[in-house]
Amino acid sequence: MMISGGGGKSSWSSSTSSWVPTTSVSASGKRIQREMVELNNDPPPDCSAGPKGDNLYHWIATIIGTPGTPYQGGIFFLDIKFPSDYPFKPPQVVFKTRIYHCNVDPDGLVSMGILKDDWSPALTITKVLLAVRSIFTNPDHYNAVVPGIAHLYSGDRAKHDGIAAEWTVRFAK
Amino acid sequence: MAVNEEQKRSPISQKIPLADSNVQNMVTLLSPRFKSAAAMAGWDEEALLLASLIVEDTPVRNSKHKKRPPLNSSSPSTNSSRIRRARRTSQQPIPVILDLDAEETPKKESGRKKEERACVNNEGSKGAGDGNESKKKNPGGPSSSSALPCIDKLRDELSCAICLEICFEPSTTPCGHSFCRKCLRSAADKCGKKCPKCRQLISNGRSCTVNTVLWNTIQLLFPQEIEARKAVGSLNSREQGKNLSPETAFYANLRNRSIQRSGGASSRNNSRRGVAVTSTTQEDEDAALARRLHREINEESPGTTRMRTRRGVPTSQHQDAALALRLQREEFIQTFRESSQEQTIRLPSSSFARENLRAMASRAMNPRTRDRRR
Repeated sequence: MMISGGGGKSSWSSSTSSWVPTTSVSASGKRIQREMVELNNDPPPDCSAGPKGDNLYHWIATIIGTPGTPYQGGIFFLDIKFPSDYPFKPPQVVFKTRIYHCNVDPDGLVSMGILKDDWSPALTITKVLLAVRSIFTNPDHYNAVVPGIAHLYSGDRAKHDGIAAEWTVRFAK
Repeated sequence: MAVNEEQKRSPISQKIPLADSNVQNMVTLLSPRFKSAAAMAGWDEEALLLASLIVEDTPVRNSKHKKRPPLNSSSPSTNSSRIRRARRTSQQPIPVILDLDAEETPKKESGRKKEERACVNNEGSKGAGDGNESKKKNPGGPSSSSALPCIDKLRDELSCAICLEICFEPSTTPCGHSFCRKCLRSAADKCGKKCPKCRQLISNGRSCTVNTVLWNTIQLLFPQEIEARKAVGSLNSREQGKNLSPETAFYANLRNRSIQRSGGASSRNNSRRGVAVTSTTQEDEDAALARRLHREINEESPGTTRMRTRRGVPTSQHQDAALALRLQREEFIQTFRESSQEQTIRLPSSSFARENLRAMASRAMNPRTRDRRR
């Protein structure tokens, strides 16, 4: 009857692909499990997500580039890390696939309001993925982490889109 | 003049007792299905009665048919008294409705609980009232919860956006969003005092009150989930709050030692432990669990007496086991306290000690059982 503190880094030693709750988990673990079930039952369009290995707090997600955007046709992998006090602190979302986007920093870290100060415990990974997907179509160039890309986006949209499409072809296919 | 008045009243006065008896008949005649259908349509009991009254009043054939039994059964004298009573009531401004209420009360009392629940449901779940109603009218009660077609929607609607489970002790923000009380409190602590759903400001004091109507509704709709969560919650609080490991270690220790002792030399020990030790170690654990659950439920929520009676899970069996365990513990303590003294006392006087302990045990048991019953 151990209560895991949550956020354990690969503390689950078993190597089964599906995480089996043999012990009672913390509130964050329970919530993540629920989200997992919900995501499986009703996945958002063009998105998928699930635990990377046996660690419930470390997920991997994919988003398919929205048609009609320069990211069209690309498959973007993301890493999602849940903090131990998860619903109350935002998850960390990182692009593993390189992407030319003004809201994604060179390390892949997604910079969005809802993943920082505007986080709300009522948000779920489904909503986060949908939000990430929405910045494909509407980059938030006013709150950009890469000012150069934002500048190009607002100044020379065609060039921006060209580069983004090129990156998509090069890295995301 | 008096005669005149009499004549003027007579049709009414005849009609009214008739209506009353009809209503009574009708109430009993109404099938539960019809009632549930009416409840779905949003009719309350009064509207139902009025409707039945209207139905009875309008067709002549029907009223004739209904007229017969009371007239046949009653002698003329009772009939006249009936008329007199009816006249009295007819002087009141709205006699029919008042009479209805008066006649209805016994029925109401019999089905009071049901009605209360229905009432709670009406208020509590706004959009999904019809589902509740149909469920409430089902005799199955909690077991029929899975049979509800809209139960999944209800589950979604009544679940907390923070923990994604059914709201446990829901608390409603000024902006109208409901969350588990604990979830809302920790959200306010960790994420600022704003509604997790709409980001409106919430005051802290307000966030701690439980929305009782909603909570009751949830408890009625999802009894299993709530029970499970309660059990888990108390377990967690047991393991997190009180550091119980020393205690369990203590018990284990005690048990081991006592086994050693009893195995070692004295049958005296065995017999003395008598009744209390009948529970095996396996049962001990269950009993301990039940006992702790009980204790914590009692401590935690003062208003749960109703729930405790309703849940009915840890009933006499578990209570007995818990009692046995507690007695056992006391006896262990007693044993070790007295062991030094008893070592001086040898076998001849052991019977006395045994008697003593038995008396003590029974004394300890009696007030406790009395406490339980209370």
